[in-house]
Amino acid sequence: MADPCLDLRAVTMRYGEGPDAVAALASIDLAIDDHEFVTIVGPSGCGKSTLLYLVGGFLRPTSGRIELRGRPVTGPGPDRGIVFQRYSLFPWLTVRGNIAYGLEEKGVPRAERDRIVEEHLRLVHLEGFENRYPRELSGGMQQRVALAQTLACQPDILLMDEPFGALDAQTRRILQDEVRRIWRRDTKTVLFVTHDVEEAVALGTCIVVMSARPGRIKEVIARDFDVADVDEFEANPAFAALRLRIWRSVKQEVEAARP
Amino acid sequence: MSSRARSYWAGALARLLPLALVLAAWQAASMSGLLPKAVLPSFGEVAASLGAMLRSGEIVPHTLASFARAGAGFGVAVAGGIVLGILMAQVRFVERAVEPVLLLIYPVPKPALIPLFMIWLGIGDFSKVTVIALACLVPVVIATFNGARGVDEMLLWSARARGTSERRILWRVVLPAALPQIAAGVRTAIAVAIIVLVSSEFISAETGLGYLIFSYGGVGADDAMLAVVIYLAALGYLLDRLYLAGLRRLMAWHAFAH
Repeated sequence: MADPCLDLRAVTMRYGEGPDAVAALASIDLAIDDHEFVTIVGPSGCGKSTLLYLVGGFLRPTSGRIELRGRPVTGPGPDRGIVFQRYSLFPWLTVRGNIAYGLEEKGVPRAERDRIVEEHLRLVHLEGFENRYPRELSGGMQQRVALAQTLACQPDILLMDEPFGALDAQTRRILQDEVRRIWRRDTKTVLFVTHDVEEAVALGTCIVVMSARPGRIKEVIARDFDVADVDEFEANPAFAALRLRIWRSVKQEVEAARP
Repeated sequence: MSSRARSYWAGALARLLPLALVLAAWQAASMSGLLPKAVLPSFGEVAASLGAMLRSGEIVPHTLASFARAGAGFGVAVAGGIVLGILMAQVRFVERAVEPVLLLIYPVPKPALIPLFMIWLGIGDFSKVTVIALACLVPVVIATFNGARGVDEMLLWSARARGTSERRILWRVVLPAALPQIAAGVRTAIAVAIIVLVSSEFISAETGLGYLIFSYGGVGADDAMLAVVIYLAALGYLLDRLYLAGLRRLMAWHAFAH
């Protein structure tokens, strides 16, 4: 079997020290293969975002190992692209400037950069908005730019931290389809954190359910059926059954976390 | 005229209306004898005096002298204040060393330091420029420090995940993210520069708008004295408006309050 794209072994995370320390993650083991779309779902405060930040290299684990393509993760880097719920974009750069940002940092020559920017503007359907500033765009458009900015860097893995959590339901649904389309086109590896069970099932080929704090991996479930658009899941009995099963699993944890 | 332009002018008129009412009341009080000339000359007399000064050009060299002093002090303060504020935000030692001094200087009325600086640095322009610089430095340093310290962590993470090294992050993220706050600090510094400038010119100067106010006041030429005060207020207002208009143009990416 090929080596996994991302490999987490016995990863634990505690915030603070001494008696006030909070255990956020308790021994996480997780291997993610290339081209997999992994969604992580769990009750709020279960440490799912922390897990993503550890993979991103923004935080260091208290113990355990995280390897990306066999190399240990020691800090942030352009091999892991991240889209946050907000604040991924630089407000002082235009859409074009934001998408070109990572390419400039990498030293990609001007002509090549322009070509990649154009390509990614088309990919997220933002042609004509290249000279706007983020504050002039809607939340959904901002997240499209963030996605284009991240993809333009050609990361090995795409990390997404509740990227659609602040959007209205309609915009969210449309962006879910876009992410699925982009993932299918590039067959990128994606690690996507959400608290929305429906989103987790609709996007993930592999759904990871986390326990209440300190976060542990409760179960990993593969979705072995698919449809073209998220809409088509609505009338799909297999989807409804899987969603219900995962919701019950999450609900158990939400109730366990209640004081 | 577009409806947007029309509403702009309507807004400008509405803002001027209270001022016009105050001036009209002032003039009416003088003309009715309610406000004797010994207490306050009429607005008409002050305006006539200002007109004469502008026509004769007598006010021009004083304006230039004042501008040079205020501009020098302000310029030094903006450059130094941004550097110092960034250093404080980035280097723990600098923050520990500078913060207590800054907090000590903060509440001191800077004009009160003018006599002391004159003893140290002489009664010429150097001591005036130094006090203006010191006074303007405070708001710029505080704004820059707060702006640079308050950069959203996610923005820093975002930059690092897109390949920005720690060495470049200052230029690529911290400085641009702090710009709106720095710009607000600089705006405060413009007003502070004018206040301290005039105070410093009261004490020992042969030129400048502060000198003019003080010397007209000393000989009882109240209308001319007030004319210079009004001229100074108009100048300050204009500078502030110009600065804001420039900011809106240069920093189109930021939504300024007004």
